[in-house]
Amino acid sequence: MARIRILPDAVADQIAAGEVVERPASVVKELVENALDAGASDVLVELGGGGRTRIRVTDDGAGMDREDAVLAVDRHATSKIRQAADLIGVATYGFRGEALPAIASISHFTVETTPRGTPEDGTRLAVKGGRLEDVGSASRQPGTTVTVERLFFNTPARRKFLRAARTETRAAVEAVTVLALARLDVAFRLESDGRVLLDAPQAADIRERVRQLFGAEVADQLIEVHWRAGPLSVAGLVQRPADASPTGRRAYLFVNGRPFRDPFLIRAAEAGFRGAIAPGARPTVLLALALPGDQVDVNVHPAKLEVRFRDRFFVERTVEAAVRSALRPLAAAAVIGGGLGELGGQAARGADVSPGTAGTAVPLSFFAPEAGSPLVATAPRRPLLQVFDTFVLAETPDGVAIIDQHSAHERVLYERAMAELQRGDAPAQRLLLPLTVRLAPDELDAVDAHRTELARVGYAVEPFGGDAVILHTVPNPHPRFDAGRCFQELASDLARGRFGEAHTRLERFAATFACRAAVKAGDRLEPAELQELLERLFACNLPPHDVHGRPTIVQLPRAEIERRFRRG
Amino acid sequence: MKFTITREKLQEGLVAVAASVPTKTTLPVLSNILVEAVPDGIRLSGTDLDIAVSTLVPAEVDAEGAVTLPAKKLVEIVRELPSAAVRLTAASEQRVSLECGRSRFKLLGIPRDEFPSFPPVRFENAWTAASGDLQKLIGHVAFAASTEESRPILNGVLWELRKDQMRMVATNGHRLARMDVPASGGRQAADFIVPPKALEQIRRLFGAADEIQIAKSENHLGFRSGQTYVYTRLIEGPYPNYEQVIPRDNDRVAVVDKQALAATLRRVGVVASDQTHRVRLAFSGGTLKFTVSTPDLGEANDEMAASYDGEPLEIGFNANYLLEILKFMPTDDVRITMKAPERAATLEPSGWDDPASYLCLVMPLRLVD
Ligand SMILES: Nc1ncnc2c1ncn2[C@@H]1O[C@H](COP(=O)(O)OP(=O)(O)OP(=O)(O)O)[C@@H](O)[C@H]1O
Ligand SMILES: [Mg+2]
Repeated sequence: MARIRILPDAVADQIAAGEVVERPASVVKELVENALDAGASDVLVELGGGGRTRIRVTDDGAGMDREDAVLAVDRHATSKIRQAADLIGVATYGFRGEALPAIASISHFTVETTPRGTPEDGTRLAVKGGRLEDVGSASRQPGTTVTVERLFFNTPARRKFLRAARTETRAAVEAVTVLALARLDVAFRLESDGRVLLDAPQAADIRERVRQLFGAEVADQLIEVHWRAGPLSVAGLVQRPADASPTGRRAYLFVNGRPFRDPFLIRAAEAGFRGAIAPGARPTVLLALALPGDQVDVNVHPAKLEVRFRDRFFVERTVEAAVRSALRPLAAAAVIGGGLGELGGQAARGADVSPGTAGTAVPLSFFAPEAGSPLVATAPRRPLLQVFDTFVLAETPDGVAIIDQHSAHERVLYERAMAELQRGDAPAQRLLLPLTVRLAPDELDAVDAHRTELARVGYAVEPFGGDAVILHTVPNPHPRFDAGRCFQELASDLARGRFGEAHTRLERFAATFACRAAVKAGDRLEPAELQELLERLFACNLPPHDVHGRPTIVQLPRAEIERRFRRG
Repeated sequence: MKFTITREKLQEGLVAVAASVPTKTTLPVLSNILVEAVPDGIRLSGTDLDIAVSTLVPAEVDAEGAVTLPAKKLVEIVRELPSAAVRLTAASEQRVSLECGRSRFKLLGIPRDEFPSFPPVRFENAWTAASGDLQKLIGHVAFAASTEESRPILNGVLWELRKDQMRMVATNGHRLARMDVPASGGRQAADFIVPPKALEQIRRLFGAADEIQIAKSENHLGFRSGQTYVYTRLIEGPYPNYEQVIPRDNDRVAVVDKQALAATLRRVGVVASDQTHRVRLAFSGGTLKFTVSTPDLGEANDEMAASYDGEPLEIGFNANYLLEILKFMPTDDVRITMKAPERAATLEPSGWDDPASYLCLVMPLRLVD
């Protein structure tokens, strides 16, 4: 590791300044980041009293010699950059030389450190309220232990703002969780008053990490994202729309291995779910962005919680597209029997995202490096079988797909209606005998208000006096279509605001139309119709999800079937 | 009940009736065939409640009576029997034994009381029609009926009986077929709206040379030829005024080769993505041009010769409707008449040497430029 130097004022002045330590969790974050920057492969965090009485972080990283250890607690002392230009694409979490002096000035602070290579050179250093109290020898394994006691002992006002120990502990766990998600190659462990709250050994991929941190149930609900557009690649996991709920979601963003907060980018990721998720449901997302260091400025927030993208619009668009593409393949469909890991992984792994692509030194590899098949949703192979006049069974490369005929057709018609609403070119069948439809007053109003949309999907409507309208042209999307009935149901839905929560007026209309125009559960379909339905479904943008966020496809993995039959 | 019958006669009767037995029903007795032994033979009947078929086949009856037997099993057994006398004996309504040569079967029946009784149709003052004429009408018209539930009237075929002709008309509101055949018999005028399913039975059951008697009760129609009867529920009218929508002033007329037109429509139709199969036809001079363009899929262009000397005209159609109609056109050339892109077009046989007259009509699709 490079030697520590004090940054010249001119450089120090260019670094985003402000409060580094707000609460115990900030201390945990800074210390763990330092451990990671020092190349640790094992990090232990110990808390006492929610971090108020004691925070100790132990690593097996590079350590420091005595001279560096003394320098480290000085302001603007860092080994990570030398000049302002180094800030561009900086690959370490730290770069300010601010964290240790800031922490040491408001606590009883002790460092014990031994550099790799010279194990006899251990140093122990104690600072109280910013004053160096003692420097001496210590004997320990190579690596560093930083102990922070009596945080805020000399700033009573700040101490008063601390929350209950439980809350502070939770925040500290979250700080470690975020870094554990960023660094799968490192083992993390957090103990609070002797209890293990987090224990995450090295993980092979992000799904395994999620399983360690959040449990198997959460991990099994996630589908993989692999996407690249120009210089930007996006990898990660997002929740299957049908599993998302309005509460309890988790959202994590990383750029070049660095966690950051960005509600707008989360919004963009959510936009990728449009037309495939229940209104109000918030999906869990974990996304790692990789792009060249000069495209993102990490030096904008005093606690390094935010970053600034050079082309923000492009990043948002790409994130949205990345999420959308992840929802497309068959692997994104719900699975019976769990154990999705293998299935989802094999079916939808892109070769795109590798840690080195953007030239960062912070290792970030969400997925094992071996490449898989590209992101395509292939239509299942025959044979097809209709059961209960409602579901279609088909063989897929990995198992059996169970398809809900109504939801699937709804998805097909929804995407087509959206396109037709925008282009206005739906085929409209002129009628020999115009249809007269009687409507309730609120339905008449709704029809009036949606005249343009109705015309665009094929209904040319004209008032007929009184409570009736007359249809001169109708859509004809499939042979079972009943134009008159569909129109009546559509008018009633529009009047009653069904699907009222959908995103835009067009989406709402398209969803209503699709729902009413689609084949119903209970319709017995001919083999040719089943085949055609599946082909159309798999030609859609988001085959596995219906317009309301329910699945259109449920997969029964071959492995699950084999397991049940105790085969292999 | 006890009777002896040849395997062939039994088979013949079962085949006639079995097609009227529903494959799926919530009323178990409807899966059965009613077997009645009467003095001059046995009467076999089946129904799905909408349509009933009944036929009498000669048999030697020793004891009269009636049972119902599972249609599917009975048909399968009789099909596999050797060509010999079949003897059927019912010890009670539920226990029936069937013997043929050395084969013996015991079948469980359902009491005949549970079998629905037939509508009381009286054939005293019946209309009559030649079966060949009826078959022709049905074969050219019934396809055009609607299957939409919201307009039940269009689910039926309109059948008009007049003094010197019979006509059938069917439409789903998008396309229409109409055929007239001259018919002697000075009958009383009558209009019926008949489910196509019933017409299909009539086409199947009666030979082309048969004379068919037709009689009506309250809301049923009965057909009879020889000892075979078909009964059907009628659809309540009135049928829409179709005359009014058949164009009379279509002044643009093309005559085209049917095979070539169908082949070209099928070819360009490959690129039509959805069920609507929109194809754009451009008539101009001696050519007919075809364009199909589907967003996200592609485009197809084609052309063929056509005799046409009207003003150039572009018009859009559902290719499936055209193809379907062409299938029923009896001549090599078809005559197409049009007025404007939003008005109905007609298709007729060209140079048809037949006393009947046939017309199909198809409504265009809206074209967007
Ligand atoms: N756990 C550790 N192992 C080895 N060296 C460390 C460790 N913690 C700190 N250091 C050294 O001390 C220096 C100062 O650390 P400090 O956290 O104050 O600043 P920084 O990490 O360089 O920047 P920032 O303020 O952005 O975190 C680091 O540059 C590093 O050289
Ligand atoms: Mg640091």
